[in-house]
Amino acid sequence: MTEVEPTPVDLPTWKRDFPYQAAAEEDVTRREFARYLVAGAGVMAAGNVGLAIWTQMRTINTGEPRPIVPLADVAIGETHLFRYPTDSDPAILLRLDDTDVVAFSQKCTHLGCVVFYEAEEGRWHCPCHEGNFDARTGDVISGPPPRPLGRIDVEIRDSTIWALGATGGEEHE
Amino acid sequence: MRAPQHAPRTSSAVALYVIILVAFQVFLITVAVEAFLTDSETLAWSSAGVSVALAALSAGLFRYLRP
Repeated sequence: MTEVEPTPVDLPTWKRDFPYQAAAEEDVTRREFARYLVAGAGVMAAGNVGLAIWTQMRTINTGEPRPIVPLADVAIGETHLFRYPTDSDPAILLRLDDTDVVAFSQKCTHLGCVVFYEAEEGRWHCPCHEGNFDARTGDVISGPPPRPLGRIDVEIRDSTIWALGATGGEEHE
Repeated sequence: MRAPQHAPRTSSAVALYVIILVAFQVFLITVAVEAFLTDSETLAWSSAGVSVALAALSAGLFRYLRP
């Protein structure tokens, strides 16, 4: 119990006669607490709408077509590291046979570690949390990654491997 | 006039509902961020719609809380 300041006139009579207050009287009431919660709910809803607008308005850089590496420099079953669509986006391509090449973003879709090719298992492997992706499709085989690897469309033109564009990490057949 | 005996319990229930709705909105924020990172517009707008509805429901329930 603590002694209070001189009593204002608008206080009830009993409080003027008994000018003490318990610490609990300064606590937030249930209604006040609920008011803060509702205000927080409004802020979160506004933030959610803002994120949706931002998602709608931003444009993803999918890259411009450009040559990556001469086909002869990548042996069958070997990989080649490159950067696509920008210099800060690590990517990796794998030559499957004479005419088939696949390429993916090297960022694991779990937490962004780089994946590498495991030839014995025929898969992309993320060593951070043991995520595994199919070598041909980039689909998740096992581990925590929630989505397939971001695919990069590639094509062989005049004995050179070209990257045509990144298509993100959507589900694909 | 004496307030009905069940009023405090109703008030507590309403406050609890609001807490649950706000907790669900925190989850919706994570969904919206995930949608943003994966560029999933449908998921982002769905999350925003549900979030706005929950905020409105919270505000509606707040009216039933006794002063």
